[in-house]
Order: sequence, then C-alpha cells, then structure tokens
Amino acid sequence: MPDQAAHQATEALSTSEVSEVSAVGGASQAPPAVLVQDLWKRFGDQVAVSGVDLTLPAGRFIGLVGPNGAGKTTTLSMVTGLLRPDKGRVEVAGHDVWRDPVEAKSRIGVLPEGLRLFERLSGRELLAYNGRLRGLPGGEVDKRAAQLLDVLDLAGAQHKLVVDYSTGMRKKIGLAAALLHNPEVLFLDEPFEGVDPVSAQTIRGVLERYTASGATVVFSSHVMELVESLCDWVAVMAAGRIRAQGPLAEVRGDAPSLQQAFLELVGANGRDAGQSLDWLGGGAR
Amino acid sequence: MTIPVTTPVNAPVSPRSPSLTTVFIRLKLSLLANGLRQSSGRTAVFITSLVLTVLFAAGLMLGLLVLRGHGHALSLVVLLIGLLALGWATMPLFFPSGDETLDPTRLVMLPLRPRPLVRALLVTSLVGIGPLFTLCLAVGCAVALAHGAAGVLVSVVAVPLTLLVCVALARAVAAGNIRLLTSRKGRDLAVLSGLVIAVGIQLVNFGTQRLTEAGGLAALDPAAQIVQWLPPASALAAVDAASKGAYATAAVQLALSGAALAGCLWLWQGSLTKLMTSPDGSTLAAAAEPTRKDPAAGRGGRLHALLPDGRTGTVMQRSLRYVWRDPKTKAAWTTSLAIGLIVPLFNALQGTGSVYLACFAAGMLGVQMYNQFGQDTSAFWMVALTISSPRDAYEELRARALALLLVTLPYTVFVVVLTAALLGDWAVLPEVLGLSLALLGAMLATGAVASARFPYSIPQDSAYKNVAPGQGAIAWMSILGGMVAGMLLCAPLIAAAIWLHATGAEGARWLLLPAGAAYGALIGWAGLRLAAPQTAKRLPEILTAVSKV
Repeated sequence: MPDQAAHQATEALSTSEVSEVSAVGGASQAPPAVLVQDLWKRFGDQVAVSGVDLTLPAGRFIGLVGPNGAGKTTTLSMVTGLLRPDKGRVEVAGHDVWRDPVEAKSRIGVLPEGLRLFERLSGRELLAYNGRLRGLPGGEVDKRAAQLLDVLDLAGAQHKLVVDYSTGMRKKIGLAAALLHNPEVLFLDEPFEGVDPVSAQTIRGVLERYTASGATVVFSSHVMELVESLCDWVAVMAAGRIRAQGPLAEVRGDAPSLQQAFLELVGANGRDAGQSLDWLGGGAR
Repeated sequence: MTIPVTTPVNAPVSPRSPSLTTVFIRLKLSLLANGLRQSSGRTAVFITSLVLTVLFAAGLMLGLLVLRGHGHALSLVVLLIGLLALGWATMPLFFPSGDETLDPTRLVMLPLRPRPLVRALLVTSLVGIGPLFTLCLAVGCAVALAHGAAGVLVSVVAVPLTLLVCVALARAVAAGNIRLLTSRKGRDLAVLSGLVIAVGIQLVNFGTQRLTEAGGLAALDPAAQIVQWLPPASALAAVDAASKGAYATAAVQLALSGAALAGCLWLWQGSLTKLMTSPDGSTLAAAAEPTRKDPAAGRGGRLHALLPDGRTGTVMQRSLRYVWRDPKTKAAWTTSLAIGLIVPLFNALQGTGSVYLACFAAGMLGVQMYNQFGQDTSAFWMVALTISSPRDAYEELRARALALLLVTLPYTVFVVVLTAALLGDWAVLPEVLGLSLALLGAMLATGAVASARFPYSIPQDSAYKNVAPGQGAIAWMSILGGMVAGMLLCAPLIAAAIWLHATGAEGARWLLLPAGAAYGALIGWAGLRLAAPQTAKRLPEILTAVSKV
C-alpha cells in the first residue's frame, strides 16, 4: 500500500511549482517513483535500448514520448520485469525490480501493448482472477471490480467474454486489471492507441483522479499533442536513448509546442518535403 | 438530390456482356491460379492433394466395380453416398474459409439478381477437387448398380443429380450459417475441426475393422433400407431400382432427389437474398455475441465455492474454464480424452486388448501438463507479474496440476475399470490402476519441468498449427523426452510388477495400487518442487517464448 506521508509530501510538491523542479527528478526526500540506470537491451544486431538513464518523480503524470521504434515498449517491459535487460538497474519506489521482485511487483500496475489478456474469461472474471492472483481477499476484489467496471463504463459488458470486446473496451478492462490492487506506479504502453474518443475520455478521467491522489502514471505514446495535454513531466526517447527529461515546460523550452521541441531534439526539423512536391494540389495539372 | 442516370458516351457498346456464370468461373480459375503462383509450397500441396484425391477416387471406383453384382452392393453404395452428403453438409461449418469466390458477403456491393447469381455460384461450385471426387464416386456407384438400358438411362440423370444435390446442400448450409461462420463462435468451431478429423479417423478405422469381418456387410442392410430413400442416395438407389425393373420406385427415388435439389437451391437463394439486402453481417454478429449469465448464479460460482481459497482455487478455476471455453485447449483435451478411451476400449472390444493398455489414458492426459504457459499465450504476462518467488511459482504450477487431476483422476479410474470389465480380467485391475497413477504422477512432474524449461507458443488462429514456426523441435523434444523420462521414472514400479508376475506372488500384486498411488504423488510433488524455482527465475524468458507469433 502507498505510504500516506510520502504521498502528502509529493502532492504538496506537485502543487507548489512545477518549473522549479530540476530536470533530473523531483527534489523530494521520498525515493523517485522510477529510477533507471544504464539500461541496455540488444536483439541480435540491433540495439533497442542503449544506456537509458531515467529518474521519474513520484505523484506525476509522466509521458514517455518518441517515434515508433524508439525503444519505448522495450524500456517499459524491462522496467516492469517482463523483459530481462542485458545490463542496468531498475528501481520502482525504492525497490530493485530484478533483485527484489516481491516488493517491486506488488507496487506496480501494468497495461502492456501487444500482449493478450485471458480473453476467454468475461471482463468481470478477468478482474476477479487478476485481483485474487495479486493476493487480495475475494470480497475486496469483487467490490473494487464492480466499482471499476462501473466507472470505466463496462458494467453492461461485464459478463461478455473479453475476446468479444472492442479495442477500447480491451484497453479499459486492461486498465481496470492494472488498477485493481491500487499500485503506487502505473505503467501504460500506448493506452490510447486505437481507442475511441469516448473511451479515451473515460480512461483520462480515471488516470487524472488516480494521479491527483499522489500515485504515479508513466505512459508511452507517439502522439505529442496527447502527451502535452495530459502530462506534467516528460521523457523524450529516440533511437534507444533518452534525449531529454524533465517538467513539460522545461523540455518544451521556447518551442511553440512539444511536437516542435521534439523535432528539434531528434534533429528531424530540416526534413521538409514541401519543395520537391510543388506539383501536388490545385492549379496547373 | 437526384443523380441523372445516363450512359457514358464513350462506353464500349457491347451487344452482349458475358454471362454471370462465365465471369464467375473465370474469377474462380484466376483466383486459383494466383493462389498457386503465390508460393511453390501451396502449389505442391494443391497438386499433391489433387493426385491423392484422384488416386483415392480411382481406388474407390475400382472397389465399386468389383462390387458389381454383389448382393450388398446397394447397401454399400447408398451408405457411401449418404456419408459423402453428410460430409458436404458439415464441411462448410468446419472449413469456412475454403472458397472465397463463394463468400456472398464479398458480392454485396454488386448489382446482382438472386436467380442468375445462384445459377452462377452453383456452376462455379462444381469447379474443384471436392466435386471431382464426388463425381468419380457417383460414377463408380452408378456402374456398380446399373444393369440394362433402363439402369444406364437412369444413371445419366442420377449421377449429375447426386453431384448437384451435394454441392447445393453445402452452399445452402454455408449461406444459412454465414452469420455464425463470420462470428467468433464460428471461428472457434473451425478450430475444433482438427479434433473432428482425429476422432473421425479412429471411428472409421474401427468401423472398417468391423465390416471386414465375415458377414459384416449384411449389418449395413437395415441402415441402407432407410438411407436409400434419402437424397442424394435415393438418386443412385433409383439406378438399382430401374435395373431391377421397379420403375415406379425408381421414379419416386429420382423425384425425391430432384425435390431436394430444388429445396436446397430455394433455401440458398433465400439466405443469399436476405444476406445481401440486410445490414452487414459482421456488425450484427459483433452486437449479438452472447452475454454470459451472472456467474455467481451459475455453475462457475458453485464450482468456485468448492475450490480452495487464494491462488490455488483461482488458478484452478481459470484452467478449468479454459478447458471448456478456449477452442484450442478444448480440442487438445477432447482429443486426449477420446483417444485415451478409444485405444484401450476398442482393442478390448475386438478381443485383442489387454487391461495394461488402459495406462494409455493416463499418458494421453498427462501430456496436457506440458507447455502449460504456452497454453496461456502471451497473456502469461498477467501470471508473470504476480509471481515474485519460487513459492508463488509452486502454487501456480500445483494449482494447474490439481485442475488437471480433477478431471484426469476419475477419468483414469473410469477407463481402467471399464477396460477390465470388458475383458473380464479383474485380477490385474489394482496393479494397472497403480501403474496408471504412477504414470500420471510422472507425466505431471516431467510436464511441469518441461513447462518451465521448454515453453513454446501455440498459434491461436489455425486448427492445424500447434507450434509456432521455428519452435517445432522444442515442442517435439520436450514431449518426447518427457514421455521417455516419465517411463523411466515409472521403471521401479514396472520392475516390481514384472517381478511379482515372475515369482508368481499373485497375492501381493494388489500392493502395486497403494504403491503406485504413493509413488505417483511423490514424483508429482518432486517435479513441481523442481520446476517452481526454474519458473520463477525464467519468467521473462518464458514470456518471450510463448509470445512468439
């Protein structure tokens, strides 16, 4: 269970002043929500993650942004204990994920991208299964599951098999499963990918309520506008490395938008295809 | 807003556009050719199946020619055709993706009238290996039965009629069930087709053995009496009737088949019209997927109340639900259950069996313990996130083994007792049961270790692929190696049984039952203990292995 005192401290911090926080982590006494040091992963000849260092402060809505293939999913998989790193250290809420899994795993919730759920269970059965595996008492699981299903607008489909759910419904049931044990840190890989606007708004509402209570959300996305509108802290990733991390305002700097700042960071700003396609569009055919 | 309907000025003026039937046949032929051009493997498979079908059909025709003049020829022919028609009727349910030219949902956007469409589709359906086989068989049947001018004359009508009824029947069934076939339920059904084939082969094998016994063919006569009035078998029965001079019977039988053809076509046309004029099937199907009843009120709730608390009960319940709900798991289980029963039982029925064969049931079901995490697919991440110590892994594996035992234990006892009862050999019952239990324990133990050491992914989309490409060797080696290891683990008990037989210590043989049970439990437990720390240590590696596409 999250430590209340630490929560209050981080909450006070996050409401004080965002731009005063240094680029590397929160200046809090509490351990950072996530600490990653010199993380490496290689698949054959391709280096997917090359020396990632991250210090993510607790109690924030954190965005991990980068283009497709930047290594976001690989990084999140290693941070959550689902993929073994070649080298490096990962701590979640002060506990080493790989050396002390008992403490670390109980503190994290995960919604991975591209992995299945137990789809032959109904939404409700999936939550009941997941909560009990997490060691929660049955009555508590059922109570929380009913509330989550209700808030996420899945109550009407709770007895349908997950295999018959739409993409948005799957993301929502996955989110419910990840939240059920009230983790300190929630990792979401592309939670809004392929989700309809109504479901996206619901997910957003739940996540905002969750971070407001002092918990941490780390989510990955390649949609800059989304990250800009949701997050107060961002880490920019490209080609397996972290290019910048810090409060949103700091990473954005003088650029008009995060998108623009990102393009400058990864050096893609010069690639303007405008001139070579001058025949395209109206006028002379 | 109105759109003026005008003929484009520069449109080519053709006196007569090609008929729909020609267009469809061309479409089918080019789809076939393009499919073959795509890969040489597909070409090889197509040509092989074509050659095999022709050879098989030729063999059957030869067999039917030999039957000519045989007293039971009619019985055999009508049952053969009846079986064939049954195959045609059920095939579209299990192999829905067989023929894309015939999927009417692809034609929805085209302005087509039902009657020409049905005609065109029917003729197109006649192009293919299946119809060729049916034609060969029907010709063979007609030759076996036709005598004299009348017989030949009726054959000329009966053979095409048989073929058309078969094809139209298949189309009517497919079109009538298109909603089912394009829904998730339909795809689940298709995954079970492998099972139908596996069990079907066993049954056919058994049936053939019974029939080859002396006087076996006479056993067919009562069934044939009925089937000869059922289309399309009635068309060929008409050939026989006409040959014997019973012209009225022949006429009625032919008319029955004719009426069946008309009926099938009418039903087919009805479903086609409905399909093409009502909203898209996929939308409706998605909305209509069933909602399960509240599990608290149903079986699930009651079952769970009986299971232990915590991870053990939760995992057992999930495993058992998957046996019933997941088509892939269901197919594997049903095949194991059916074959585990068929082998000892049919051997016993034929008088060639031994009670010892009943151990086969325990072995077949024990195989289900192998690749436990592969059966989870990449959903294993949910399990991996909740295992943080060898203790968790032990509980997880033990719960899966217990779920397996819940079915396997009573089933093993049932098969052993049934086999002993059929053979009347009650004396060996205790020792066979003891050996079965020891084997079961050994399979659970080796299965648990293999699940941790050699996980592999099971593709979910195909009925015939149980291993992802590149992992075949792991799958075979782990199951084969595990079975050998299981046998070796049972060696002390087998040796004890042989020793007791050799020394003639009849009175002490019952001791093998408690010894086998205790030994099985012990090695089962030891296997889980051995597998648990390896599972806990290798979670990311297992997840990677079972997530391979």
